[in-house]
Amino acid sequence: MSMRPLDAAVAPSDYDGGGVDIRLRADASSRRPALIAFSLAIVWLLLGSLWGDLASFKLHWPDFLSGAGWLTFGRVRTAHLNSVVYGWASLAMIGTALWMIPRLVHQELRWPRVVEAGIWIWNVGLVIGIGGILLGFNDGLEWLEMNRYFADPLLVIGGGMIGVALLATLAARKVSHLYVSVWYIMGAFVWFPILFLLGNAPWWSGVESAGVNWFYGHNAIGLWLSAISLGAIYYFIPKVLGQPIYSYHLSLLGFWTLAFFYALNGMHHLIGGPLPTWMVTTSIVASVLMIIPVLSLAINHHMSMVGRFGALRYSPTLRFVVLGAIAYTAVSLQGMFTALREVSRITHFTHWTVAHSHVGLYLFVSFVMFGSMYYIMPRLVEHEWPSARLIRWHFWLVLIGIAIYVVGLTIFGVLQGLALLDPQVPFERSVTASLPGLYLRSLGGVLITAGHFVFAYHCYQMVRMPAVERALPNFYEVRPVIYSGAQVEEAS
Amino acid sequence: MMFPSSLAVILTGILLGGLSLAAFGWAWLRGQFSNLDAQSTVILDTRDYLLERPWETGVQRAEREAAYGPLVKPATGEWGGAE
Repeated sequence: MSMRPLDAAVAPSDYDGGGVDIRLRADASSRRPALIAFSLAIVWLLLGSLWGDLASFKLHWPDFLSGAGWLTFGRVRTAHLNSVVYGWASLAMIGTALWMIPRLVHQELRWPRVVEAGIWIWNVGLVIGIGGILLGFNDGLEWLEMNRYFADPLLVIGGGMIGVALLATLAARKVSHLYVSVWYIMGAFVWFPILFLLGNAPWWSGVESAGVNWFYGHNAIGLWLSAISLGAIYYFIPKVLGQPIYSYHLSLLGFWTLAFFYALNGMHHLIGGPLPTWMVTTSIVASVLMIIPVLSLAINHHMSMVGRFGALRYSPTLRFVVLGAIAYTAVSLQGMFTALREVSRITHFTHWTVAHSHVGLYLFVSFVMFGSMYYIMPRLVEHEWPSARLIRWHFWLVLIGIAIYVVGLTIFGVLQGLALLDPQVPFERSVTASLPGLYLRSLGGVLITAGHFVFAYHCYQMVRMPAVERALPNFYEVRPVIYSGAQVEEAS
Repeated sequence: MMFPSSLAVILTGILLGGLSLAAFGWAWLRGQFSNLDAQSTVILDTRDYLLERPWETGVQRAEREAAYGPLVKPATGEWGGAE
């Protein structure tokens, strides 16, 4: 893509990025709340990873740590999901949103103390909710297991305080045009509270409860986790490359089609269930319509990167974010096909679904959040990451780990599904068919957890580094962070 | 069976769709869809264009220089890297 002349492309007004001064003031206003959100996100990431590994071990070693009730599969698996979704991913996204919105609207973050209080209240809710799950208090709805009377209200209050402060910042903006990332992020902060309140309302029962449950569950993925992650992708790729996104028109088309079609997707989780057929069919059609936002992102990100893939060697931000964007395309295409009845017959109720959800929640959302944090953290603590080696370890451990995890569960999940469909095959054989995949899942999970501990240690090192060392520049010339061949020796 | 089992989902679907429609109308009336090429640059300021990117080819670098002027060395860890 050829460059556009500065004077023609960037009028010195609303369309200018605003200059370094505005960025620095915006960064300073969100520094403390964003750092708190990121720090707590990492704590939940570690806890969630340990719960996930434990749950995975129990699938092939069912007697492993089975003596205590709070360590049984049903509790640790649920604690894993809630820790990583509402702890790690949500808090990392909140930190990213707190840092990005003031920058994008050229306005300092409003009510930062309220935001900080909101983050702490959200975390108290998580401790009560996830602690309650481990003690056996579970609301019994997937993605909504935390107690609706003691834990969820705290998430609503805490999240509401954060959302209101962001809306106030948006209302006081000093730009008239809203960049596509603002649409994604602020859309998520409007959609999610509605969905969370609806999903947790106590009066649903029977079939309606199942419908509302998956309406919430799927939209929490698409209109909360995906929306903020997509907003981050549209910010970091052009920012690091130093050029606008390939097609801004496509990026807006992607946002508005997501806004109009995504909400109808959730019922495809209930194919074969006792819901009106028109509901499930509508959901399948809406799922296929997701090809529009998915392709718009895929084309946009690929065409923006063409000729510049070498940048992935230099920027950990770009490396994680671009892989996350690729995973978004992959998981969305998977999701579209899985929504079809013919495919769902094979994959539903198998480990394939677990692989699919990890492509979405880990390879897409978590990778984008890692990339975002690699960019944002040095600007929050005004200090460079201490070690390129630790970044490499983090990257390769989590990438290899998730590759093993997803490939293993995908292949053996399909074999499990085919065995389940064959009436001549005894049920036990569907279990043994999936067993190699479960071992691979544990292996991948352990590697991922190791990567998370490396990342957490690196963040700790960075934040705790003495001021005297912070004052020193770490390097004067830009060199690749990911090396290949002879460069490895040169780097070490 | 048709509506009692799905009323909540229908109403919330309409609410979310209605909110999106309202936001779209607001964006349309406020000119959010005009001058889109210029909008795509709001996240970049002058300095972003002028930073030398070590991964760019000679041609790309020359293009950047021709469009924006002499390039400047990036600060430490400009892209979130480390050493």
